Amino acid sequence: MSGTTVPAESNETEAEPSVSAATGQEEIQRELSHEEYDPKGTLALILIYFAILMAMWVFMYFVEFLGNELVVVG
Amino acid sequence: MSTQTDQPSFVDRYPEEAAVVRRSLLVAFVMLGIGALMGLVQALHRTNVLRIIDSADYYTVLTAHGVFLAIVFTIFFLVGLYQWAVTRSLDRSPVDIRFTHAWATMMTVGSLMAGAAILLGFIDEVPVSADVLFTFYAPLQAHPIFYAGLAIFIVGTWMAGADWFRTWLAWRKDNPDERIPLQTFMVLTTMIMWYVATLGVAVEVLVFLLPWSLGLIDSVDPLLTRTLFWFFGHPVVYFWLMPAYLLWYTVMPKIAGGRLFSDPLARVVFILFVLLSTPVGIHHQYVDPGIAQGFKFIAMTNTMFLLLPSLLTAFTVVASIEHGARQRGGTGLFGWLTALPWRDPAFTGMALAGLLFAAGGFSGMVNAGMNINYLVHNTLWVPGHFHLTVGTAVALTFMAGTYWLWPQLTNREIYSRPIALAQVVMWFGGMALMSNAMHVAGLFGVPRRTAEPQYSFDFPALFGTIGELRLQIAVGGTLLFISTVLFLSNLAFSLGTPKREGFGQTIPPALSGPEDSPAVLDNMKLWAAIAVVLVVLAYALPLGAIISDNGLFGVGIEPYPMLVRPLFDWAGATLAGLAEVIA
Amino acid sequence: MHIHSYEKLWLGMALLLIVGFIGTITYGTVGAGVQMVDDSGGNVEPGNVSEHEEFGEPGVEKVGENEYDVHVVARQFVFNPGSEVYGAIEVPVNSTVNFYVTSADVIHGFSIAGTNANTMVIPGEVAEITIETEETGEYGIVCHEYCGEGHHNMEGLLRVVPEDEYNGSTQ
Repeated sequence: MSGTTVPAESNETEAEPSVSAATGQEEIQRELSHEEYDPKGTLALILIYFAILMAMWVFMYFVEFLGNELVVVG
Repeated sequence: MSTQTDQPSFVDRYPEEAAVVRRSLLVAFVMLGIGALMGLVQALHRTNVLRIIDSADYYTVLTAHGVFLAIVFTIFFLVGLYQWAVTRSLDRSPVDIRFTHAWATMMTVGSLMAGAAILLGFIDEVPVSADVLFTFYAPLQAHPIFYAGLAIFIVGTWMAGADWFRTWLAWRKDNPDERIPLQTFMVLTTMIMWYVATLGVAVEVLVFLLPWSLGLIDSVDPLLTRTLFWFFGHPVVYFWLMPAYLLWYTVMPKIAGGRLFSDPLARVVFILFVLLSTPVGIHHQYVDPGIAQGFKFIAMTNTMFLLLPSLLTAFTVVASIEHGARQRGGTGLFGWLTALPWRDPAFTGMALAGLLFAAGGFSGMVNAGMNINYLVHNTLWVPGHFHLTVGTAVALTFMAGTYWLWPQLTNREIYSRPIALAQVVMWFGGMALMSNAMHVAGLFGVPRRTAEPQYSFDFPALFGTIGELRLQIAVGGTLLFISTVLFLSNLAFSLGTPKREGFGQTIPPALSGPEDSPAVLDNMKLWAAIAVVLVVLAYALPLGAIISDNGLFGVGIEPYPMLVRPLFDWAGATLAGLAEVIA
Repeated sequence: MHIHSYEKLWLGMALLLIVGFIGTITYGTVGAGVQMVDDSGGNVEPGNVSEHEEFGEPGVEKVGENEYDVHVVARQFVFNPGSEVYGAIEVPVNSTVNFYVTSADVIHGFSIAGTNANTMVIPGEVAEITIETEETGEYGIVCHEYCGEGHHNMEGLLRVVPEDEYNGSTQ
């Protein structure tokens, strides 16, 4: 991540577990490089978020706002 | 939490710096405690559940809640975290640690002055008060020590930034060809944004409000000072958010067992914040008279583009966690979610903070939407929104991050992981309840910043009654307070857990490292210069128009010190009104 | 610069979303005709509000066939007219109402609760907003900006009455 010559950083990816982890937390089972990893789950989640944003925006703008009383026209 | 590592911890390697970080976090948490208590008093008072104060004192409580949490808690946590991040990622001490102590002292003194001015508002016998709320709009006038305290505090933050830039320059001399380590990159870009942003409030306080509160000038222009406030008032929200982003980008993937998906995009995101955070402040003034619609439209388009870095962050951070989940054996389109370390309070806290931030992002999009602002401006919707952003995305991430960072600063374990886990979940639940109710009440027209739940007319509630919403706010606020108490007591007990070794943590390199990005991203001078140009373009004309209409100091504006006098004015106005009616 | 194809897709969609938002708001301004309060109301010296031609005697005034001007002075902690001591603001239904609101002291807010009529009231400035009344009814008016320790007492009433009941004065 940050820098390549910093001594505190390991260039290997086998990092130690988090200090805040629960005891007995499963360790990393396999190494996934950039090439072999496609964030499919992330893409799916973010597309759902996109759909929610669009639907909520249309509702808020056209129903709640423009459908509200006393629209300011000047 | 008995995880052992063979790395030396941060306090092993940098004991003096760790002390600075610990002290900064401690100030932050004391303020969190006081601020949360004020929050509880408010939540119960304005919902009519429990009234232990006069409604007139509600505004003292509200001022303390806003200033202590949104300014002192957030920024003290920021300087602590950033001191850690710069030291760790450059692997280097400050050039002169005495300077580091100096800014920490400045900031503390400033906070105490402003804090005293606010809290003395509770004691009628002392003629000091600052019931002016977080926004301190003139002509409401606070005691001079409030403004002086703010000024000293902000100068302290400027010195902190200078300290980090100095450390970076010293590092640069020894490493002329290295890319800036990501955490330091984030610190430096944040501070460039902060220098640009605080110009507004520095001018507002030093040129106008402080001399005016001392009686050196007679009058200040309410619209001008308010516009200067929002010049600072929007970018400050990114000053709260960027340390949370630093934790999401650099710490969260590590905790999840993965690696940051893209270092180059993280850099692009922080540069977008440098460029776009400030020329948007007028979106807080969409319904202000005295500012032309065209200026508001420009602020709106800039604000909308400011969504981009946060939307990009959502993808990069979630992809980094998914990477961790898949490395830990997670499979399927959504099945990997179950492979995440949900029993780790640092992870769960940050993940839940991110989830509520996604919701807060939506209400922020509505706030950004110029004309739709008529629907929500200054209603309860707005605090509903920022309790999801600063109140959760930032505050909950800070608390969760503390569970990970604190052992490295003290060589002591967190007292109880299960309590920590319950604490972050309780914050999530309490905030979801409270914030949702505030949003809905806002749509019915219930105003923010008022002590009274009931006006003489009824708000036109469509679904769910106002009473139910009030109850949800009271219950949510109570859960949030309990969560804060759990956090603080867990941390207090952690001061007494036995010292041991084995708390060192490394941060794994990004999947796509800085070598994948153009070096121009690291050109701080260039981005600072463009940021200044954008601010000048966005603000020169509106400020010029206000000054040419009203002059620098306004016309015939009387100060309204927040002491006893308004009471007389109020009685006077009412009597005058009565007299007019009778006549 | 190396960017994953999914991220490129998301970048494109994020930009689309942003352009969509800006498009909606532009439609609101140009198509639906929603105008922001701006600098058209001009300036008034707060100390001289009582001597001002319009704000000196604030209230409802018929200015056209179905058009009314309403001048309102906000001060700690009343709206004149609107608050109880001054009487509710009364306008007929199916009319165009131009509100002109200014402050005689500190910053206030003026919001007709549960509707879109919502503006800041800043000393020195005149907020001008125009609405069309389409239904009869009573609306609460709130000051939505903190203006001092009696802020929560600052409220008023707007009555939209049938044309034949309108008698041209505030009550």
